[in-house]
Amino acid sequence: MTSELRKAEAKALPRFSPNTDIIEQQDGFHIYMDMPGVAKKNLVIDLKENDLEISARAEHPRMEGVSNVHLEFGDCEYTRSFTISDVVDRENIKASLKNGVLEMFLPKAEKAKPRKIEIQAG
Amino acid sequence: MVIDFSSFYNLPRELDRFFDETWRPSTISQRRNAYPPVNISEDKTNIYVFSEIPGVEIEDIDITLSDGSLVIKGNRKHGTGSYYRQERPTGLFQRVVNLNVSINPDKVSAKIKDGILEIVIPKADEAVPRKISIKAQ
Repeated sequence: MTSELRKAEAKALPRFSPNTDIIEQQDGFHIYMDMPGVAKKNLVIDLKENDLEISARAEHPRMEGVSNVHLEFGDCEYTRSFTISDVVDRENIKASLKNGVLEMFLPKAEKAKPRKIEIQAG
Repeated sequence: MVIDFSSFYNLPRELDRFFDETWRPSTISQRRNAYPPVNISEDKTNIYVFSEIPGVEIEDIDITLSDGSLVIKGNRKHGTGSYYRQERPTGLFQRVVNLNVSINPDKVSAKIKDGILEIVIPKADEAVPRKISIKAQ
């Protein structure tokens, strides 16, 4: 019975929407997502048309022979998707995973960057 | 608006969050009401404390052992620019873990990987359970 339960749990990990910051800077958008416990190999970023989909799996190493005194987090899945507009230069999206934070940089397309219009004296 | 979030009050997400918070998986014994969340395990010789602290370098985390309690302190910095969305917690945090056994404070080790802080605290010799062999007469 317990082993069956354990199997069922292994299949359906709890799913969370990761905490996300979206910051606009002059050069583009920075998206930061908290994903503690996610290794690079367990992270998938998909860009389909206008949808940027991020899914990841956090795995915590199981320790043998220990008793768990107090648990507040565990293995889980993170999923979240964003819609991006034409302002973003899709070819140059960069992503890096460091210290459990996924950082994505979405540069603005050249045509969307603010520019000064010079006025010619007539 | 450049990134489209469908609606300002993102109701489906709020509902999701509500259910996330209410029905924690059965393996999780306590609700997450303090930051950062910690997991505590022990075996015969060590106490293991794990904590989810993403985006913070080990140098910026202050771990102190005092009088039977472990204190994890740190600061989460935030970026600059105009925020479209801010959900990640920022600022100073502190969490106190009470240890009810005597420990060996000189051999505590800590490391951080993928945003998970791992602290290994060896128990003091007198706290390690010992088998006493009884001789049959």
